Amino acid sequence: MAKSKHDEIVYAAADWWVRLREPGAADETIEQWLAWTGEDERHLATFERVTELANQLGSLDNVSRQGLIKAFARPVAAPRRWMPLAAAAAVAVVALSGGYLAWTRFASGNASQVYASAVAQNRDITLPDGTQVALGAASTLTTHFTHGQRRVELSNGEAFFQVIHDNSRPFVVAAGDVSVRDIGTAFDVRRTGQRVTIAVTQGRVEIADIRQKAAAGQHGTLDVSAGQLVSYDPHTSSMTIGSIAPEQALAWRSDRLEFIDEPLSVVIANLNRYSTRQMHISDTDLDTLSYTGTIHTDAIDSWLSALPQVFPLRVSTTGNQVILSDAEHSSRR
Amino acid sequence: MTLSVHVSDIEKLFREHNRALIAFLQCRLNSHSDAQEVAQEAYLRMLTLHNREEVDSLRGYLFKIAGNLAIDRLRKRKVRNEFAAEQAHDEPVVETSPDRHAMAAEQVVGLRRALTELPPKASQAFVMHVIEGRDFGAVAQTMKLSERMVRYHVANALAHCRARVDEKEMP
Repeated sequence: MAKSKHDEIVYAAADWWVRLREPGAADETIEQWLAWTGEDERHLATFERVTELANQLGSLDNVSRQGLIKAFARPVAAPRRWMPLAAAAAVAVVALSGGYLAWTRFASGNASQVYASAVAQNRDITLPDGTQVALGAASTLTTHFTHGQRRVELSNGEAFFQVIHDNSRPFVVAAGDVSVRDIGTAFDVRRTGQRVTIAVTQGRVEIADIRQKAAAGQHGTLDVSAGQLVSYDPHTSSMTIGSIAPEQALAWRSDRLEFIDEPLSVVIANLNRYSTRQMHISDTDLDTLSYTGTIHTDAIDSWLSALPQVFPLRVSTTGNQVILSDAEHSSRR
Repeated sequence: MTLSVHVSDIEKLFREHNRALIAFLQCRLNSHSDAQEVAQEAYLRMLTLHNREEVDSLRGYLFKIAGNLAIDRLRKRKVRNEFAAEQAHDEPVVETSPDRHAMAAEQVVGLRRALTELPPKASQAFVMHVIEGRDFGAVAQTMKLSERMVRYHVANALAHCRARVDEKEMP
């Protein structure tokens, strides 16, 4: 299809934008540009619009910025694999796996405690060791404390831990294939099925892939510091590192869910923890649409009604269920 | 005899070219408020110009002064950002830019979709230059392309995104 006159001007304006950006742009370039702006009154107006968009994009909020950089500015780099182990760290992991084995052997003899929260209800808990846990809605946590280790399993949902550090008694959170060990810290763990994200708000943690640890020669841990966000993708057993501000990581405690470049299926699964009406995605094509943004858990309905404007999908309600389906499939039928 | 620039000359320049001057500075500085400040300063500099007969075009001279002031300002901004990064040690630093723009989540999603419609090299060059704020030379080096190709990709992507955002706003 041929470009319209309007599009032609937009492309010309963007070309001028790029040429004028150069600090060393020649005086003649500026003169030619001025002549161009004088040719048609739409020229300068379009140039202003192009510049305005570039300005907006140059000063995006950090969540959107990181999301776009992650999605487009690093397409050639494969997802970062577990970092190779330095010798010193290898010792730590062996010690840690020892602890893990000890735990499995003695777990049956030790008291476990299950903490669960209801849909749409966050819950604050103090564990026996003094560690503070903020448990997100519809989340389940099981503690297994021994005198040598404090182990917590997050089987679903999200929890923020402010750990009372004790060198002789490491604090380890297991979430699916991933374990997170505190090194004097506060951190948030969210588990959606086998997908896990960890946001560190204070101090450091050591993250390990339990399955890779079990495989010979594949031992790996990752040191993650405050301000970093790690996402574990179960399909590729890989993780990516990004950055996150503490207030973003903990937004859910103030009824806001923040997502950075997450599959729609993950977004919906997490929203369901806060919604009395459960949402389902009926076309798997939609699962992988990537979403970045903030959703207020008290305004899920208005978010849903805006969704078809940004994704090619339809939202329909049947009884107490909300169905998200592919807009193209339904229109073709 | 020297002839200095008269206030009425400046007024005429302002009337006829201020809008273009602001657009030009905004393109360089990524900020409307900085563009206005620099433009003001450029007009003031014009008034202190003493040998007018050496200048063929007052307009050309105005844009030249403004361009140089913009370069100074970018340099200062860079020093400030580097200093901030040093102060913060290894904490992640967000580059400070004079005005922060909040973009609605829906707009960001729309933009993201527009970027996926482009060849990967175009969206990569665009995000690195416009969003990450790296200059053309640095992008060219990372992508192993010539600067000319990087500029070409960035221009194409910028036009595509502008057109897509416009479609959404004016259906």
